[in-house]
Amino acid sequence: MDSSVHLDQIVMRFGDFTAVSRTDLKIESGEFFSFLGPSGCGKTTILNMVSGFLSPTEGAIRIGGEDMRNVPANKRPTSMIFQNLALFPLMTVAENIEFGLEVRGVARSERKKVSDRLLNLVALPDSGKKKVAELSGGQKQRIAIARALAVEPRVLLLDEPLSALDLKLRQHMRTELKEIQRKTGITFIYITHDQGEALTMSDRVAVMSAGKLQQVADPMTLYRYPQTVFAASFVGENNKLTGKVSSVEDDRVSLDCGPLGQLTGTTRQSLKVGEEACLFVRPEYLRRCEADTPQSLRMTINELNFEGSFVMMDARLHANQQGVRVQLNTDAYMADLTPGAEVSFNYQPSEAIVVGGAHV
Amino acid sequence: MFKQLCNRFGTPISVGIAALLLVWLIALVILPQLLMVDYSFRPNLLPSEIGGPKDSYSLVNYVTLFNNKIHLGIFFKTIWSSVMVTALTLVVSYPLAFYLAKVATPKQAALCLLLLIIPFWINEILRTFSWYIILAYNGPLNAMLQALGLIDRPLRFLSGNGGVMVGMVYAYILFMIFPLYNALESLDANQIRAARNLGASWAKTHLRIIIPHAKPGIATGCIMTFMLAAGSYAVPALLGSPGSRWFTQIIYNWFFEGGNWNQGAAYAFLLLILCIGFIGLVMKVFKVGLGDIAK
Repeated sequence: MDSSVHLDQIVMRFGDFTAVSRTDLKIESGEFFSFLGPSGCGKTTILNMVSGFLSPTEGAIRIGGEDMRNVPANKRPTSMIFQNLALFPLMTVAENIEFGLEVRGVARSERKKVSDRLLNLVALPDSGKKKVAELSGGQKQRIAIARALAVEPRVLLLDEPLSALDLKLRQHMRTELKEIQRKTGITFIYITHDQGEALTMSDRVAVMSAGKLQQVADPMTLYRYPQTVFAASFVGENNKLTGKVSSVEDDRVSLDCGPLGQLTGTTRQSLKVGEEACLFVRPEYLRRCEADTPQSLRMTINELNFEGSFVMMDARLHANQQGVRVQLNTDAYMADLTPGAEVSFNYQPSEAIVVGGAHV
Repeated sequence: MFKQLCNRFGTPISVGIAALLLVWLIALVILPQLLMVDYSFRPNLLPSEIGGPKDSYSLVNYVTLFNNKIHLGIFFKTIWSSVMVTALTLVVSYPLAFYLAKVATPKQAALCLLLLIIPFWINEILRTFSWYIILAYNGPLNAMLQALGLIDRPLRFLSGNGGVMVGMVYAYILFMIFPLYNALESLDANQIRAARNLGASWAKTHLRIIIPHAKPGIATGCIMTFMLAAGSYAVPALLGSPGSRWFTQIIYNWFFEGGNWNQGAAYAFLLLILCIGFIGLVMKVFKVGLGDIAK
């Protein structure tokens, strides 16, 4: 069954405020798609438009090719998992799961079969008779998933459903969600501000900021080749060095970074000489080097934080006092690296990304 | 608790407050009630006979009601009419309370609440009288309906129960709206959205999610409205007709026209007992506990 979701030239305005700027995006059938962005970027508004709680000011939502403009929320083939789960506290677990079938007039015995099957799927058999209040956080989470799946939606909408869980449980639920998605083949649209969740689970991620889609890509591409200053800064840790393009040769771009000198990186954009641009180097790509080698940055160490598998170093660039972060492998952690020490680090031009523009 | 009070305000003030409270409670609430209980079990006697051989406790005053078919009829009619008033008030208040709690913006809700409360700054008798004027045979409502061509000749709204019903719904609507509003406001908006999202129609959403959540508020509002309606005197006295007499009017007659306080007290307690019993029954049927109402 076609369960693709097409945001067809949608715009959402509340009075003068544009919550979602013109967006055209097709989410494929059976895809695990995430919207990633800080709070207030418009990602929840998109979810509410897909579910039918809001109608776009312009454009249309199409699910499986079908225009949803005149389809009310209770008739759409979507199912939502709410941030606070919104389980019905006055009903038992089984009644919660069967609610969607009950309002569709499905017979009790049929409903029971479905809730039993789903309780097995979420690994909570025999808890149908329990009250919602008797469940733990993770169990409630799974019941919410079961309830949403009971109506056999074509699209499952997840509104930061893991944000209330503790770290261990969150990581566990990530695996489980992915597993359920694989088993059911339903299109998942996942809203989160947690890039870890977006990167680990998704087939594709849309980075959003201030109502605009910044970049839509698979997690690996998004991490390796961010295309906007916002995407590069928001996804993962990054050191941002600003400058003006001084030379372009194929995908190699050199920037004149003022006091930092000439720095070279790679780009996937067509940049012109003289244009403002940013060079991004991730903390893990910076390596210890001799002073004055190409792409080297001279810095003074502020602080070293032991993080287990690596050491995160906070430092300040000599040339312009800008803060940078360097990730050191624990085996490369050398005794002369102490707060206050002056050191040089450099990177390979192929590992640094240059993006046009200077601001987010 | 008294110790906390002492620590806070000092012993003399605390003892003073407690003493005042006790005096108020005992002298102004409990003793008069006990006096009425005492009255209700004794015969109505001339002052010279009080304390004499005829002055003995009996259930005669209570039995009187059950031997008087007319009074008994009015007694049950009062209960039934109060149930109708309560139901009508609930039907009118629920959409309004839902709008206030879940649909209106804070500004709209504040304005709406203000409009609801302002009329209640006016005395109940005056408000009831204004309904008397509105519903009168030559009143503005009849004039308006005639002007609109909906009726040929004026209707007699004030004969029968209609006037009393309208007056009571209006008089007690706030006692229904506020508990409902409180209950509905505490409902998480995502519960409604979740129900919609799972395919529930608006009717189903109200029936399965919103009303069950608001049940304690509905119970509180209904109990208050029912008690006020059953014990109302002014509204039936002003808007009622001889055919729609309220039991409170009979109690009044025993006290102030028959001069028989003993009989009146017995009638008053019968009304109280029946109301409490009725409420207990309704709470049992709808599975509402006292704890729910106190919320």
